Amino acid sequence: MGILYALVGRGSVVLAEFSGTTTNASAIARQILEKIPGNNDTHVSYSQDRYIFHVKRTDGLTVLCMADDTAGRRIPFAFLEDIHQKFVRTYGRAVHSAQPYGMNEEFSRVLSQQMEYYSSDPNADRINRLKGEMSQVRNVMIENIDKVLDRGDRLELLVDKTANMQGNTFRFRKQARRFRSTVWWRNVKLTIALIVVLLVIVYVVLAFVCHGPALPSCF
Amino acid sequence: MSFQDIEAGRSFASRRNLINGKQDPTQAVASGIFQINTAVSTFQRLVNTLGTPKDTPELRDKLHKTRLHIGQLVKDTSAKLKQASEIDHNVEVNASKKIADAKLAKDFQAVLKEFQKAQRLSAERETAYTPFVPQALLPSSYTASEVDIGSDKTPEQRALLVESRRQEVLFLDNEISFNEAIIEEREQGIQEIQSQIGEVNEIFKDLAVLVHEQGAMIDDIGSNIEHSHEATAQAKSQLAKASKTQRSNSSLTCLLLVIFGIVLLIVIIVLAA
Repeated sequence: MGILYALVGRGSVVLAEFSGTTTNASAIARQILEKIPGNNDTHVSYSQDRYIFHVKRTDGLTVLCMADDTAGRRIPFAFLEDIHQKFVRTYGRAVHSAQPYGMNEEFSRVLSQQMEYYSSDPNADRINRLKGEMSQVRNVMIENIDKVLDRGDRLELLVDKTANMQGNTFRFRKQARRFRSTVWWRNVKLTIALIVVLLVIVYVVLAFVCHGPALPSCF
Repeated sequence: MSFQDIEAGRSFASRRNLINGKQDPTQAVASGIFQINTAVSTFQRLVNTLGTPKDTPELRDKLHKTRLHIGQLVKDTSAKLKQASEIDHNVEVNASKKIADAKLAKDFQAVLKEFQKAQRLSAERETAYTPFVPQALLPSSYTASEVDIGSDKTPEQRALLVESRRQEVLFLDNEISFNEAIIEEREQGIQEIQSQIGEVNEIFKDLAVLVHEQGAMIDDIGSNIEHSHEATAQAKSQLAKASKTQRSNSSLTCLLLVIFGIVLLIVIIVLAA
């Protein structure tokens, strides 16, 4: 949930506050303002039920916020630092002579915006932003692994198909070679038949010219 | 003409040697812009302190010195940027360097604008507020003189001093515990980021193994296709030869038929006679 309540005060005087929920945070915050010891710059955190009150006092100005116990300390104190800077930049020296709730009309809106920002925007904290980016990188890499596995499956199919194609082309080559041999032998047989027919014709003609089957007139 | 070209080349070479001899202007401009950025950040931090209890004459003096320092840096960097721009126009440098110089000029404009904004805010606040003279200065020096005359200190004052010192120690302990808590939380976040980076590292290794295996598969596919190509080429040549032989067969068959036709004709003529 994040930061639920924020307050800016001088000593025990409340100058501006904003509450995101209807709780008794305001009363507890006032007790804390009165209870904080000393006048030095300080950072403290008080626990109350499930909530923690983080207090930062700098240069006589106190900034307080109530946060969920899951919010840790880094983000609430970054929030307090940011609010302190904005408050000082906006009002300057007038802080020391202001009336109670003197800045509440304007600054409660700023408190609300910053509470929203530090509660829900991951960019408020560099480590959280880096964590989010690393998560995105991890997700993208997991998708990449899935895609590469799919590619592997398709490559296996392609290996099988190309192996089949190789076998078929080897068979095709063998049959082509066999066909060529068959056609060649048929050619040889036709040539021999032609030679035989020509010889027979020549013999018949000679036998007719030489007046006998044994060719008596020529020899 | 040729002598003039040689002379022009020599002047270019000498000019480039001169440029290489001194510091690269682009690097100098980048360094200057970085220094101006740092100084402007310091200046903004000082301006934010105006109007607070820390607003002292020393702060005003530091603010003034920082402003002068930034002015000097801006002047130097502007001169270097002009020099780099002249080099870009005179010498035929590659396009990436021109783009880098243009980017530096834009960065320079941005940082100048930011400085002017901070300067305006500073002037506004310097007139609105008077410096806060700390009241504790005189008592502080009095306390120092008091410490110098330590032997005259009364037991009550000594006890008060011890109490004050103990409170200071408590305050420091509180600050230390606060900072330790912040550091521990940040360490946890960084540990999580480290573990996520470790996971991404493992994923990259797995990806490398898969890609390597698939490389072997693709090699197999390539060799299969090459073998198929060779076999198909050989089969094609065999079929071409078979086609030629078959054409020869057709000729021989026709010749045989013609011869048989003639013989049959002669036999018929002889029998008819």
